[in-house]
Amino acid sequence: MSQEVEKYSKPTRILHWVHLVSFCILFLTGLVLFIPQLGFLAQDSVTRVIHRIGAVVFIIAPLIYIPMNWQATKRGIKEAFSWGASDIGWLKAAPRYYFSGDEKDMPPQGSMNTGQRLWWLIVLVSGAIFTITGLIMWFAKTSAPAAVLQWMVFIHDVAFILAGTMLLLHIYLGLFHPLMNEAWKAIYKGNISAEYAKKHHAKWYEEVAKSKEVKS
Amino acid sequence: MAKAILYDTTKCTACRACQVACKGWNELPAEVTTNRGTYENPADLSPTTWLKMKFREIEPGGKVRWLFTRRSCMHCTDAGCVKVCPSKALYHHELGFVAYNKDLCTGCGYCIEACPFDVPRSDRNLLTGIAKMDKCTLCTTPGLDRIAEGWEPACVKTCPTNALQYDDRDKLVAEGRKRVDSLRDAGWANANLYGENELGGLHVMYVLDDHPSVYELPVNPQISAATVAWQDAIQPLGWAVGGLTVLGLGLNYMVARANINREKEKKDVAGS
Amino acid sequence: MTNHWIDIRNSDCIMIIGSNAAENHPISFKWVTKAMEKGAKLISVDPRFTRTSSKADIYAPMRSGCDIAFIGGMINYILNDMERNPGNYNMEYVTQYTNAALIINSNFEFDDGLFGEVKDGKYTTDAKNTWKYGDTKTPAADPTLKDPNCVFQLMKKHFSRYDADTVCNITGTPKDTYLQVCQTYTATGQKGKAGTIMYAMGTTQHTYGTQNIRGYAILQLLLANMGVSGGGINALRGTSNVQGSTDMCLLAHILPGYLNVPMESDADLDTYIKRSGKNPDATITPQGLAGDKSSNWWGNSKKYVVSLLKAWYGDSAQTANDFGFHYLPKCDPAKNYTHIGMFEAMGEGKIKGLWCWGQNPAVGGPNSNGEREALGNLDWLVSADIWLNETAEFWNRPGADAASINTEVFVLPAACSYEKEGSISNSGRWAQWRYKAVNPPGVALPDLEIMNLVMLKIKELYQADSSAPGREAVTNLVWNYGDVNADMVAREVNGYDLTTGKLAASFGSLKDDGTTSSGNWLYCNQYTEEDGNKCARRGAVDAHPKEIGLYSNWSWCWPVNRRIIYNRASVNLDGVPWDSEHPVILDYDSEKKWQGDVPDGGWAPINQAKEGEKYLPFIMKPEGIARIWGYGRVDGPLPEVYEPWESPLDRNLMSGTKTNPCAFIGKYRNERSTPSEYPYVGTTYRCTEHWQTGIMTRNLPWLVELMPEMYVEMDEVLAAEKGITAGDKVVVYNARGEVNAVAVVTKRFQPLQVGGKTIHHIGVLNHWGYSGMSTGDSGNILTPHVGDANTTIPEYKTFLCNVRRA
Repeated sequence: MSQEVEKYSKPTRILHWVHLVSFCILFLTGLVLFIPQLGFLAQDSVTRVIHRIGAVVFIIAPLIYIPMNWQATKRGIKEAFSWGASDIGWLKAAPRYYFSGDEKDMPPQGSMNTGQRLWWLIVLVSGAIFTITGLIMWFAKTSAPAAVLQWMVFIHDVAFILAGTMLLLHIYLGLFHPLMNEAWKAIYKGNISAEYAKKHHAKWYEEVAKSKEVKS
Repeated sequence: MAKAILYDTTKCTACRACQVACKGWNELPAEVTTNRGTYENPADLSPTTWLKMKFREIEPGGKVRWLFTRRSCMHCTDAGCVKVCPSKALYHHELGFVAYNKDLCTGCGYCIEACPFDVPRSDRNLLTGIAKMDKCTLCTTPGLDRIAEGWEPACVKTCPTNALQYDDRDKLVAEGRKRVDSLRDAGWANANLYGENELGGLHVMYVLDDHPSVYELPVNPQISAATVAWQDAIQPLGWAVGGLTVLGLGLNYMVARANINREKEKKDVAGS
Repeated sequence: MTNHWIDIRNSDCIMIIGSNAAENHPISFKWVTKAMEKGAKLISVDPRFTRTSSKADIYAPMRSGCDIAFIGGMINYILNDMERNPGNYNMEYVTQYTNAALIINSNFEFDDGLFGEVKDGKYTTDAKNTWKYGDTKTPAADPTLKDPNCVFQLMKKHFSRYDADTVCNITGTPKDTYLQVCQTYTATGQKGKAGTIMYAMGTTQHTYGTQNIRGYAILQLLLANMGVSGGGINALRGTSNVQGSTDMCLLAHILPGYLNVPMESDADLDTYIKRSGKNPDATITPQGLAGDKSSNWWGNSKKYVVSLLKAWYGDSAQTANDFGFHYLPKCDPAKNYTHIGMFEAMGEGKIKGLWCWGQNPAVGGPNSNGEREALGNLDWLVSADIWLNETAEFWNRPGADAASINTEVFVLPAACSYEKEGSISNSGRWAQWRYKAVNPPGVALPDLEIMNLVMLKIKELYQADSSAPGREAVTNLVWNYGDVNADMVAREVNGYDLTTGKLAASFGSLKDDGTTSSGNWLYCNQYTEEDGNKCARRGAVDAHPKEIGLYSNWSWCWPVNRRIIYNRASVNLDGVPWDSEHPVILDYDSEKKWQGDVPDGGWAPINQAKEGEKYLPFIMKPEGIARIWGYGRVDGPLPEVYEPWESPLDRNLMSGTKTNPCAFIGKYRNERSTPSEYPYVGTTYRCTEHWQTGIMTRNLPWLVELMPEMYVEMDEVLAAEKGITAGDKVVVYNARGEVNAVAVVTKRFQPLQVGGKTIHHIGVLNHWGYSGMSTGDSGNILTPHVGDANTTIPEYKTFLCNVRRA
């Protein structure tokens, strides 16, 4: 058996999955409004009620997670906004890597590689936008001026396009890309092989190796 | 051949038979109202009031005028509501009206916000968001479709003074222009046919003896910038981005798998 | 209406005065609008700017109750203008077809508002005799209109006091607007032009209401607007069938077909016919006019009375018993049998039972508090209505002590108009047949069936009681309907030739020898052997050669399907129509027939007829010409300005006689409001959304939604003075009671300047009561128990009141 390291804590994994499921619900029930042929699904406000249930989970889940995992939250947010030269190197090298598996030129990465952090940043920003514009559309629907509501729809929609396409990418990379099997394991089981960690998250692995005993 | 309603304010006596006929034909219940110091009632359009008459007293040059205006769907050609309706519950009838299949309504309320005339209404449960929009369908509501029978809408049918007419839109434009000319001859310099060109041509046009603003009608109504930005820019862009992403991922999958398999084979060959 | 609804479209100028046609007769505006599309002018005269005014070319505000001043001033304007510009008028019409040229009794005097001596609220017979022609049988005429005693000169003198300044000082109308009205309407005096007057209760409901209408008649005759298409005096009837109800005698002073009601002094049929003045001896033949023969159509009245008695009493009506004339109830000339008179008697406890049929006096009668109390003096009360109304519930009204009221109330649920078959006669005299759409709900029955059941029972009771007073009048009454239906009644109303058993062809065939029957001579011809039920005709093609909108094959109208009455005045002495575009009758030809409408007598044009056969056009008048001088009224031959019973002024600005000396003044609980305490002019009216006492509309949610609450209207100045804003709850009150309502503060009422005072109006709706879905106070709590001198119609339109915030 090869050595393993804990990539994601249990609360983090639960948050991830709860958030992912709620986002998918929101994604799909929102998507209905873009496909007239699926309009029948929205009849009698059914998908819109589900959308609201999804939204409640989407908003509440992090609110429960954050106070209980304050350090991880802080670290995560910090990471989302820490960008450097290596990220540019990663972005340059990434296409080759993702199309051919050629790893040379890929700079060493922290716990999240540049791509993952980009996604993480989008999740944070779009989540905030979804929440704010969504709540306005929900609760100020009969009181806010029509123009305000219309622009809220617009912004919600922009966020949807951004987050929606990135979600596709995220799921693809996590589930289907030929190289990414261990990332899936990380968020599913929490652990990844030390070998994988060394290879894909070198900087992070060094930190972890320094501070903790490697699990056998 | 597009059809339309021509509403001649100068012939309207605000008897409100149209308001009652609308409720009668469309099986809409009465609202509980109070006298608010005016004849006008109910206070606003609602899911059960699709048509109401507005009363306005003005005193230009010391002469009292009592103006009556119809408040109902204007059945635009460039209809903001149809543009934003996600489920195509609102659609253009073959005769040009903005018809409505209530079954398909999702209750999103986008049409309410998109209407330049502030016409669609819904009863919304603010917590659940459950809602159904309602508005004048020009008597094309399924099951209550007068137009399909070749009849005029209920409001037109009941109008005692022919202030409301229903006919081919071309004919009514000609008729409306004629009325405007005769009003101008009679000294109404600002007489105009409202709706002839507004929003690609309305299917409810007004003969006005004065500027639309005097009748509190929007001057040069437009589909809002938000509607345009959303429907004409962002939504197509969204589809493009979404489509390209899916395409790109598919491509990546095939290329990457081929490359990686080749590498593997190489390794296997090398290893064996 | 002398004309009919569709004919309004042919008018060149429409004056709506005493009516708010757009709101209360919305359909009439179909035709007003059509006329205006073709360039007709619309004048609206009203204390309040109404929906009618909103469509008018000229709106003239007028203090409520000032019609005579307003119209009198117009008459003065015309009479003066006529002498200066006779070419602008149809002088041939005025001279030959009206009594303008006739010479009046030289003893006629008019002094300080009085036309002679008044005793006990009545002009003396001597005074009335001075109103007549100098020669009462063969009056002389001066076609030059110069004789100082001719009607034209007497009128000129009378109305010379009605100059525009005096008039506007009384009415409060801005003078420039008033002169614009005079000018615009007077333009219809030209040959070939037609002006029409549409009026309703705003005209009639005054202590001088009949004289208001007389004013219109004079105006229309001077402008040659009677008998012509687009002209006429058009009374817009208040309910869909009120024309039919008056035709059929639902008034106290007539029998069916406007035959006089018999009086106690009428010992027998001939005495009655003689006294009624409707007999051949009453014929008056003017001398010196082109026409020399008056048909005096009412001279035929004995034929109609006998035929009516045959319809009622059948074989019991024979020559020997005066055709059962003695079966008819006779009236006491000292009593007043109208609504107000009846309730005065009820208040005095003289009436035991009351049957209200589609009638709701607890809301609709004047001085509601008094009338509601009077109902408590009844032993029994029957209310037949489609809803439970305030009259049926009078004992349960707010403030009443039900335990102390001993009146037994019976409610008979009746079918509404869509639940039964029959005819309704509209304002244009068209009797239109309608069919049942749905069955009445529950135990409700059509009126006819209720009446049949009740009458069968009454007959049974009288049959059983040999000592019952007037027994034969009931037992001999022919009542053989069996399962009654409207069709058999329509036939009976039309009448029969009793010798052949066939339906009578027209009233021309009715006889006074008992060989014909007719339930109403005016309706004879509605149902014939050849054409069946003509009221049911639906010929939608206008067969008139000039298509003036007669639609003579649509339904049927009285008399004998004549759509425009007095139509022989629409042609000149040679028979040529004044208006070639809209002729009513035309082309009298070698076959001795007129084309177009059914002529008012088919005689030849006056200039073509032989001596002694030159028939004058106004066939119902004993003199054959129209009366601009109308001496048949009880309160004078000409209209004269009086103040309403409750006036905001301390004197009549025109004379020393303040109010109509002949008005009927009620005594029962009829307190009078004084201007010092109640300075504002109250006036009652309807809105479009509700109907009469509201019983038919206040129970319909859709209409209640539109007009949910009792409201009053007032001008912004008065509202500001009283601290009232739109939507506030207010109380309008006077000596007779108070009314709670919502204030509608509006620019549509404006303060008027009258006799140096500022006059404010308060408009009070009359639809609400304490029964039904939408309840509220009735405006008639404020109206007085006073009535017109001739008809006793209540003075609903003008009274005094005050207002405060609730």
